[in-house]
Amino acid sequence: MIISARWLSKYIDLPETFEELVQTLTFTGIEVEAIKEIPALPETVVTARILTSEKIPGTEHLQICMVDFGKGPLQVVCGAPNCHSGLITVFAQVGSKLPEMEIKKTTIHSVESEGMLCSEKELGISDNHSGIIELPPETPIGISINEIFELPDSIIELEITPNRPDLLGYIGIARDLAASLNKRLKLPSLRNYPGEEDPSIKLTLLLQEPQKCPRYTARIIDGISIKESPLWLKIALIKSGLRPINNIVDITNYVMLETGQPLHAFDYHKLLPINQENSHPAIIVRRAKAAEEFIALDGNLYHLDEEDLVIADGQRPSALAGIIGGKDTAISNQTTTIVLESANFSPSTIRKSSLRHKISTDSSYRFERHLSPAHLEKVSNRALELILKVVGGRVCNELYDTYPEPQKPLYLSVRPSRFEELIGYELDAFLIKNYLQSLGFQYILCGLWQKEPINEYELLPQAISLDLEKNDNQIFYENPQMALYFQIPPYRVDITREADIIEELARLDGFDKIPQKKIIHPIMDWHAHHIKHRIEDYFRQSGFYEMINPSFIDPIKLEYLGEDKAELEKKLIRIVNPQSSNQSSMRTTLLPQLMDNLLYNLNHSERNLKLMELGKLYWKDGNKNCETLHLTALMTGLNTLDHWKVKNEPIDIYSVKGVVEGLLDQLGITIDEMKKVQHPWLVEADNLAYFSKGNLCASFGKMRVKTAEKFNIDIITLKQDIWVLDFEINTLIELTRTYKTVFSPLPKFPAVIRDISFLINLSIPYSDIVKSIQQVEPYLIKDVNIFDEYRGKSIPDGLRSISLHIILQDYEKTLTEERVEQVIDSVIKMLENTWQIKMR
Amino acid sequence: MIDDQLKNIAEQAKIDLQECRNQNDILNIRAKYLGKKSIVNSLYSQLRNLSEEERPAFGKKVNELRNELERMIEEKEEELKLQIVNAYDSVQVYDLTLPGVYFPPGSLHPLTIIRRKMEDIFISLGFQIAEGPDIEDEYHNFDALNTPEDHPSRNLADTFYLDNGYLLRTQTSTVQVRIMESYPPPIYIISPGRCYRNDKPDPSHSPVFHQVEGLVVDKGISMADLKDTLQFFAKAMFGPEVKSRIRPHFFPFTEPSAEMDISCVSCQGKGCRICKNSGWLELAGAGMVDPNVLEMMGIDDQKYSGYAFGIGIERIAMLKYNIPDMRILYENDVRMLRQFRREII
Ligand SMILES: [Zn+2]
Repeated sequence: MIISARWLSKYIDLPETFEELVQTLTFTGIEVEAIKEIPALPETVVTARILTSEKIPGTEHLQICMVDFGKGPLQVVCGAPNCHSGLITVFAQVGSKLPEMEIKKTTIHSVESEGMLCSEKELGISDNHSGIIELPPETPIGISINEIFELPDSIIELEITPNRPDLLGYIGIARDLAASLNKRLKLPSLRNYPGEEDPSIKLTLLLQEPQKCPRYTARIIDGISIKESPLWLKIALIKSGLRPINNIVDITNYVMLETGQPLHAFDYHKLLPINQENSHPAIIVRRAKAAEEFIALDGNLYHLDEEDLVIADGQRPSALAGIIGGKDTAISNQTTTIVLESANFSPSTIRKSSLRHKISTDSSYRFERHLSPAHLEKVSNRALELILKVVGGRVCNELYDTYPEPQKPLYLSVRPSRFEELIGYELDAFLIKNYLQSLGFQYILCGLWQKEPINEYELLPQAISLDLEKNDNQIFYENPQMALYFQIPPYRVDITREADIIEELARLDGFDKIPQKKIIHPIMDWHAHHIKHRIEDYFRQSGFYEMINPSFIDPIKLEYLGEDKAELEKKLIRIVNPQSSNQSSMRTTLLPQLMDNLLYNLNHSERNLKLMELGKLYWKDGNKNCETLHLTALMTGLNTLDHWKVKNEPIDIYSVKGVVEGLLDQLGITIDEMKKVQHPWLVEADNLAYFSKGNLCASFGKMRVKTAEKFNIDIITLKQDIWVLDFEINTLIELTRTYKTVFSPLPKFPAVIRDISFLINLSIPYSDIVKSIQQVEPYLIKDVNIFDEYRGKSIPDGLRSISLHIILQDYEKTLTEERVEQVIDSVIKMLENTWQIKMR
Repeated sequence: MIDDQLKNIAEQAKIDLQECRNQNDILNIRAKYLGKKSIVNSLYSQLRNLSEEERPAFGKKVNELRNELERMIEEKEEELKLQIVNAYDSVQVYDLTLPGVYFPPGSLHPLTIIRRKMEDIFISLGFQIAEGPDIEDEYHNFDALNTPEDHPSRNLADTFYLDNGYLLRTQTSTVQVRIMESYPPPIYIISPGRCYRNDKPDPSHSPVFHQVEGLVVDKGISMADLKDTLQFFAKAMFGPEVKSRIRPHFFPFTEPSAEMDISCVSCQGKGCRICKNSGWLELAGAGMVDPNVLEMMGIDDQKYSGYAFGIGIERIAMLKYNIPDMRILYENDVRMLRQFRREII
């Protein structure tokens, strides 16, 4: 629903600022989808009369006009097809700043033009650019256009939820706002129109389908003439997104926007009678006949069936009920007498027909959402009042009104105690009454609660109290079953249970009043929890067995590792009452226990072992006790299990490196530095430590024969290397804490892969080669991967052969063959110049 | 004469096509007969040398030849394609009984598996995990938990003391104390972790062992809530048929205190070696948090109440996996660990 703030303000005093209005709508539960502000136009945009107009020779539409705008007259060139002398329109003087342009003195086809005649689009009022604005002849000349167009204004697009059909009109929205803001709802005053008896202008009304049409009212108005609507009416419709058509149709639309109830007008004289005996024009609410044809206002022919409900005259359908009117009985410029329909149709009938025939109109949209039949006569009277005021005419006869089973009153009870249970705080019973009354609920009495709704006044329970004053809450808390009874307004078809009423109350009092009862503090470190799982699972999936060893260690074993005794003394925490000397201090490393585990399992004929432990290390730093999480792993033997199809490769430095780098990659840790570690238990050459932002993350290396010997393992006879891997778990947890996955748009153009192979000096590290290649075209070279390294036979001493995939990708366009060749050529040239490679 | 020449060309093409083995051969043939410098194109260039009258007939014949060649080449192309498809679809002889290639994973330790299972169960009930240090002071391990000065658990024979005046926590209740010090109620936490008691290793004792302790402090918490929680845990861990009971006991930091038993998972309560014929297995210590403990933590014991429980991870692992001796869990024998590689956690 699109509403204008100016129009809305006819029914309620709006909050001071527009922001407040949007805020109130939002927190009342009416979602604001879009906002468009129409600013005031400059005072130099005024009403004006075209005195003369004259075609510019040699042009198609251009005319020279003399324009009177209270001053002047001035000469203006205009290209609009509807520009003619005598027309009153809108004139923007030179210097006016319009939404999309500034008016300047110009010369068009050597004719001077001092200003512009404007369309609605040029003024930013609508998208209509079919011609210049036509104002009624009585419009005064030279007045500011803001007055006429009610500017500035704000246009608000609201999303109305399907359960609230009562909000599909200005009055419904104003009523909710009034209740929420505690303001008075200003409704247009209505009087009854008895209508003068006129036997010559009568109607035969037959309602044959009361299930599908619970109520049908019709009103005959004679002596009207169809014209354009007055400007205020047209402007109002335009601002709410409807196109003005003629005075009668515009009024029915205006009243629909105002009340939410769709109306329709027929040309009385085009309605055919049933037969000669019954010679009054007829309106019959009936099912369509099988294959009955109907030409709608949209000009299309529809084939109806018995599931469709039609408003027919004596012979043929004149409207598809509640959806669209018929062409044959539509209002035309010749119409002098109309029948004004204000009726109610069942939502399912409308929904099915609308779906079947693929027609959706403002009318069907509303009927599908279940409107109330209760106040149809009031809506009819409202339209009638506007017709008499705007169009004139006379009211013939009484209102025709067929309402076989009037909607029964609905009484519901609501317990203040239940409000507290459901919403979480106490709401004063007096406030409950006030809120609901401002929504149009009628307070009846206080009595014991009853779950089922009541349809008759006589069945209401005994009143325990009638009056309700402020802070009169005691009776409700002494007896939680004590409730307030209300009669539900008929237009609130969504309110059928106590919970529905409580929802209204919570909404109006404001969700911001709901207290936060339990504030559960976030204690758990979810990130650490997940990272630990990820690491444990990574090692399990990579074939490792998890060890769990006690926290105690024999200090001798630390000396086996070659650690400095004095340093050890500083950090070692000793146990005062150990069970034995080999459990006499807290462990500062996991390695000795893992070596014992390794020996144990080797002694049990397990040759290929991948062991790891994730546990705490304990040491003291002065007076401080430190506990950190650490992971140590050992690898020895074959990389895979014996298998007939897979080569049995011993675990080598690259498979160990793979385990380390695989985990770092899975955790998304960027390594910015790698260097040798100086652990006394590791062979000096084959080891490496990984750093990120200056933090040691992980390291690995090959164990010395001498160290293993201390743990009773003879590497030489075993003929297996023992690899040691270490991970600083606390560091890994902290470094990953801010990791974020952000989607990057997929490349639109394919990547190109080129392979190159070359001989290069052994001393040049692979990482340097990759870096140098990427620098050749950092934008295009997306990746460089090695797929082969070879040294030995057929390769000269001191050299190795390297084979690389170079992956090129341009995010902007498809790479041409020439461009690819050019890049690869410069890569090769660079390699030749920098590293003296020989291509293979 | 011309007719013979054209016929020969067609014959030769037929022979050439028979030799074709792949798409590349086809391309060559196409180039030879129909390409820019092909035989057919050279025929077309002869048109110029012919007289006005001869041209239409000759042109027509060359067109026919071109169409014929085109058709033959396409036919061969189809044939080759069909050969490839048939070869792909044809049956190959594999010995399907030979084992497939599969890299078996390792395994987490059963204590880790059980800890993670327990964490999941309590997280599903709305508990958060809280952790704390193994090295503690006497205040958090004893005083704050309402343990009297002369309580035997403070002895050297029960508790490990460190050379810097600290001790090794004897239960993870220390974490509960630390949480109550830092956060107001409501509190719903479990604290899994390592504990230390000076017990000689035997089938049911280890100086280092693992626990999951739970603590709830909120309005309106009663022993009924505790019973529900423990029963939920028992059924989630051991299966829906498991029965549980609580019976009175004594702990310094709970009042009333209780121990929780479950029906024997081995004999379903009929009586066996594992349950020493009682039909019941002790599973957890528990109780309502002692008002003194709440008071010491600055929590209004008139407004709030709470419960606490402690469950041994080793005990659960032994019962769940039928491990007869706790020491097996600390041997780290990969033959034992391999048996747990299929556990789901
Ligand atoms: Zn048993």
